[in-house]
Amino acid sequence: MTTAEAAAYVHVPFCRARCAYCDFNTYAGIDHLIPAYGDALRAELRAAPHARARTLYFGGGTPSILPLDLLAELFHVLRLTLHIPSDAEVTLEANPGTVPPAYLRGLRELGVNRLSLGAQSIHEDELRLLGRIHTWAETAEAVEAARAAGFDNLNLDFIYGLPGQTLARWQETLEAALRLGPEHLSLYALTLEEGTPLKSRIARGELRPPDEDLAAEMVELAEEVLADAGYFHYEISNWARLEAQSPKPRAKRWWEPGAWNLKPEAFSEDISPFVCRHNLTYWRNEPYLGFGAGAASWREGRRWTNVRHPADYIARLEAGRSPAEEVEEIPPRLEMGEMMMMGLRLAEGVSDGRFRARFGQGLEEVFGEELARLQDLELLEWDGRAARLTPRGRLLGNQVFRCFLP
Amino acid sequence: MDPARIRNFCIIAHIDHGKSTLADRLLEVTGTIPEREMTAQVLDTMDLEREKGVTIKASAVRMVYQAADGETYELNLIDTPGHVDFSYEVSRALAACEGALLVVDAFQGIEAQTLANLYLALEAGLEIIPVVNKIDLSSARPDEVAMELVDLLGGAPEEMLQVSAKEGINIQAVLEAVVRQVPPPSGRPDRPLRALIFDSHYDPYKGVVAYVRVVDGAVRKGEPLVLMSTGVGTEPIEVGVFTPGMHPTGRLGTGEVGYVATGLKTVQECRVGDTLTDADTPAPEPLPGYRPAKPMVFAGIYPTEAEDYNGLRDALEKLRLNDAALVFEPETSQALQFGFRCGFLGLFHMEIIQERLEREYGLDLIATAPSVAYQIVTTQGETLEVSSPADLPDPATIQEIREPWMQIQIFTPAEYIGPIMELMTRRRAEVGTTEYLDARRVVLHYRMPLAEMIVDLHDRLKSATRGYASLDYTFDGYRPGDLVKLDILVNKEPVDALALIVHRDQAYEKGSALVRKMKEVIPRQMFPVPIQAAIGGRIIARATVKALRKDVLAKCYGGDVTRKRKLLERQKAGKKRMKQFGRVTIPQEAFLAVLRLEGG
Ligand SMILES: Nc1nc2c(ncn2[C@@H]2O[C@H](COP(=O)(O)OP(=O)(O)OP(=O)(O)O)[C@@H](O)[C@H]2O)c(=O)[nH]1
Ligand code: SF4
Ligand SMILES: [Mg+2]
Repeated sequence: MTTAEAAAYVHVPFCRARCAYCDFNTYAGIDHLIPAYGDALRAELRAAPHARARTLYFGGGTPSILPLDLLAELFHVLRLTLHIPSDAEVTLEANPGTVPPAYLRGLRELGVNRLSLGAQSIHEDELRLLGRIHTWAETAEAVEAARAAGFDNLNLDFIYGLPGQTLARWQETLEAALRLGPEHLSLYALTLEEGTPLKSRIARGELRPPDEDLAAEMVELAEEVLADAGYFHYEISNWARLEAQSPKPRAKRWWEPGAWNLKPEAFSEDISPFVCRHNLTYWRNEPYLGFGAGAASWREGRRWTNVRHPADYIARLEAGRSPAEEVEEIPPRLEMGEMMMMGLRLAEGVSDGRFRARFGQGLEEVFGEELARLQDLELLEWDGRAARLTPRGRLLGNQVFRCFLP
Repeated sequence: MDPARIRNFCIIAHIDHGKSTLADRLLEVTGTIPEREMTAQVLDTMDLEREKGVTIKASAVRMVYQAADGETYELNLIDTPGHVDFSYEVSRALAACEGALLVVDAFQGIEAQTLANLYLALEAGLEIIPVVNKIDLSSARPDEVAMELVDLLGGAPEEMLQVSAKEGINIQAVLEAVVRQVPPPSGRPDRPLRALIFDSHYDPYKGVVAYVRVVDGAVRKGEPLVLMSTGVGTEPIEVGVFTPGMHPTGRLGTGEVGYVATGLKTVQECRVGDTLTDADTPAPEPLPGYRPAKPMVFAGIYPTEAEDYNGLRDALEKLRLNDAALVFEPETSQALQFGFRCGFLGLFHMEIIQERLEREYGLDLIATAPSVAYQIVTTQGETLEVSSPADLPDPATIQEIREPWMQIQIFTPAEYIGPIMELMTRRRAEVGTTEYLDARRVVLHYRMPLAEMIVDLHDRLKSATRGYASLDYTFDGYRPGDLVKLDILVNKEPVDALALIVHRDQAYEKGSALVRKMKEVIPRQMFPVPIQAAIGGRIIARATVKALRKDVLAKCYGGDVTRKRKLLERQKAGKKRMKQFGRVTIPQEAFLAVLRLEGG
C-alpha cells in the first residue's frame, strides 16, 4: 500500500506586534501560551493521519518566534508521524529582527531549507505605515545572515499599492530587493481587510484610499523589472528565479508565447527550481494537512478547519479532543470550481489532463460555455490542453474565477 | 346606537403635526386600548409606517366615551395621512365624517397641508375643531398659533384648544369638543341601506374588506347586498367595527362607521367610492362617490430577473387592493424587457410602493426615472397621451407637445424668499403673488411644470429653507412647451429606459449633469463604457466610465479557500441585482440618476 501524499502546514499564531494591515489568525502578547501551544501541536501531530509530506511549511504569524528547542521537538514528532523525504521542501516564515545568526544556523540543522522573510518595503515611512517592527537594514542583515547560515532558497515578501505610494518609490523597492538576490519574491497588492487599523484610518479619511489603477501599473512594472532580472512570474503574486546562471537569462513574460508551456506537459517546477512547491499544492487544489490553530486541511472531498484561537486549540487538545471545528464537504461540482479559482492563478493554468484525471470529464465538457465567454472577453486562453489567464485576465482574475463558481 | 349619540370625525393636519399621536391619546382616554397595549402611533400598523414615522393609509377606530353630560357616545375616529401625496386618502375619509380635528403644531404653525386639508374639509361641509398641539415644546408659541387659526377660521382665541398629544395635556377637552360641536349623523334609519365605501383592504380569508360609513338604514351579516355602480351582489361574511382590530358586531346601524367583509376577490368588483345597498330593497340613488384618484407621476417598474415578472404582477395586484390610487399596465422596454408602467400620486407614493414590493414581496426591481403624462398633438391633429419618454412618436409627426402645469403654494418664513425664488425660477416657474400670513410668514404662489416639480423639488425646498418651508399643489392645466427627447446612450446604444423629456433650454445642462452622474454610478466594467446624451441623434454631452484595470485577490492559499470562495460568490450574487444591458451592467441608481443631479 502506498501512503497518500499531502503537503503539511504548521500554523504559528504569535507575533511581536500586530501589523496595521493584518487580519491573519495571529496574536501579539500571548507568548506565555507558546510552551502549551507546542505541546498541543505535538498532540495533534501524533494523532494525525499518516501521509507522505514532500513539503512542509511553517507559517504564521511569526514562526521564527518559536525557540529552537521547541522546533526541534516538533520536527521530531513530524518525522515520526509523516514521512518526510530527504529532498522535501521545508519552509519557515520569519520576520527580520527575530532571526539572529545562531538561530538561522539552528534552523538549517533542523532541516529547514527555505526561508521566507517578511520584508514588505525598503522605505522606513512605509514600514511604519504598515506597522512593521523592523527596518529595511534589519531585512538586509537577515538576508546576509541567512546566506551565511547556508540558506540557498530565500523568499522576500513585499506589499505595493500603499496609500500615497508612488510608482517611483515602488521601483526603488523592487530594485533594492533584487540587489539582495532572492530566489523567490512574493509581491502582494495591499488589501484593506475588515477591522484592521489601516482600513479604519482610511475610512476616517486620515489616509488616501489605495488607487487600483496605480496598483495595476505597479504590478506591470514589477513584471517587467523582474522578467529582465530573470524571474518567472508563475502565480498572480509570486515570482521565482530561473536556474542561477551567468549571465542571467531574461525570463519570458506571462503573456509571451511559450512563457511557461515549453512542452504540453511542462509545469511550473520545470521552468524554475525555486517555485514554492508547497504553495503549488494549494493552487493545484491537491491534498494538504494543516496543524495548529485555525489551520485548514483538504483531502478526499472534505475541507476541515481547526478552532481559531490558540487558547481554544490548546484546551481542545489538552482535553484529548480533536481541534477540527468546521468540516465542509465539497461536492465534485464545487471542487471543479475551486480547482479553476485556484489553478487559474498559476501561469501554467489548469491542465486539462489533470482535471480529467481527477473528475473523469474534461474542461471543455464541464466549462465549455464559460471558457468560450471568457475567451471572447480576452480574459482567458484555452488551447485544448490547458486554460490560462491572459495578461488582462491576470489583473481581472476575480471576474474569471467567479464564472466557475456555482 | 341612537344616531344622536354618534359622532364621526377625522383628524387632519400637515405632516408630522401629531395626528397619530393625538389619536393614541384619544384611544387611551376612552379606554379603547388598554395602557399596557399602547405603543406610539398605534394606528400606524404597516412596517413602513412605523419605520418612517408617517401615516400612509387612513385608519378608522370606534371608541366609546362617557361625556361630561353623563351620556355615553360612540365616537368614530379616522386618522389620516399628512403627506401631500396622500391628500386623496384624506378626501375619502372626509366623506365619512361630520367633523374634523384640525391639528396644528404649536411651533410650526399653519403649513401648506394644514390649509389644503382644511379646504377639503370645508368643501365637504365638515365642522372644524381647531387644535393647537405640542404645547409642551419649549419652542412652542401656542398663543400666536391660536391667533393664526382665529384669523383663518374666526372665533375667539380661547376657543382654540391647546393640547399636548405627547404629554396627554387637555385631551379630555378635545373629546368634549367633539361631542358638543360635531353634529350627529343625519341619515334615516327607516330608509333602505346606503353605505359609502371609503376605503378597503384585502384579506386572504375574508376577501375585500370594505370600510363603510352607513348613511341610511343598516347592514347585517348574512343579508344580501349589492354594489350600486357595478351591480355585483354579495352576502357579507362579517360585519363589524375597528377597535382598532376587526371586531365583529353582526350589524352596523345608521350613522355608524365600520367594515363589511364582502368575500369578493377583486377590487374591480368592490370599488372605493361605491355605495352598498340591500339586494332586496335597493335604494333608488347611490351616494355621491369620489372622483377617482388621478396619478400624476409615472415610472416603469421592472424585475431585475425576467422570471419574476408574474410575481411582480401578482404583487402589484395585491397592493392595488389596498391602494386604489395605484394604477399599472404592462410595458415592454428594449433595455429592461417586461415590466409595468405604473402611475402614482407623487414621488413619495412611488417610493412607498417600490419599497413595499421589494420588502413585502421579496422582489428585486429596477424603477425608471419618473415622468409626467404629456399630451402629443400629431401633425394629423390627433392628441395622444404619453407617460413614458420611450413612447414619444417620431419627432417629424409631432405638431406640439403639451405638459401638465401645477399651481404651487409655498409656505415659508419670509427670510427664505430669496433662495426659494432662485430655486423656482431655475425650474421654469412663473412667479405669482406673495401673501403675508403675518409679519414673518408668507405664502408664495407659482405656476410650474409638473415635470420640474417631481424631480425632488420637495427635498430641495426643504434644504434651501432649513426645513421651514412646506408646499402644496394643484393641477392647473396643460400647456405647450418647447420639449425635446433626451436620449442616453450607454456603450453607443440608446437605452430606452433612460430617455427623458426635457425643455430645450435645459437640455444641454441636464444632459451633461446626467452623464456625469451616470459615470459615478455605473460600476467600472472590463472595457471603457462611453455614456452620451443626445437629442435627435446629435450628441450633446459625453463621459466615459474607465475600464476596470485590476480586480484580483492578492492572496489565496490553503487556509483561505473557503473564505475567498465565499467572497467571490457574494460578488457574483451582487451582480445579479443589476441589469445586464448588452455587455454593460447597469445598477438601479443609474435609472434614477436624474433625481440626484447637482444644482437642479
Ligand atoms: N413634543 C411633542 N411632540 C409631539 C406631540 N405630538 C406628536 N409629537 C411628535 O411629532 C412627531 C409626529 O407625530 P405623528 O403623530 O406621527 O404625526 P402625524 O401628524 O400623524 O404625521 P403623519 O401621519 O406623517 O402626517 C412624532 O415624533 C411625535 O412624537 C406633542 O404633543 N408634543
Ligand atoms: S508579522 Fe505577519 S502575521 Fe504577524 S501581524 Fe505582521 S503581517 Fe500579521
Ligand atoms: Mg400619522
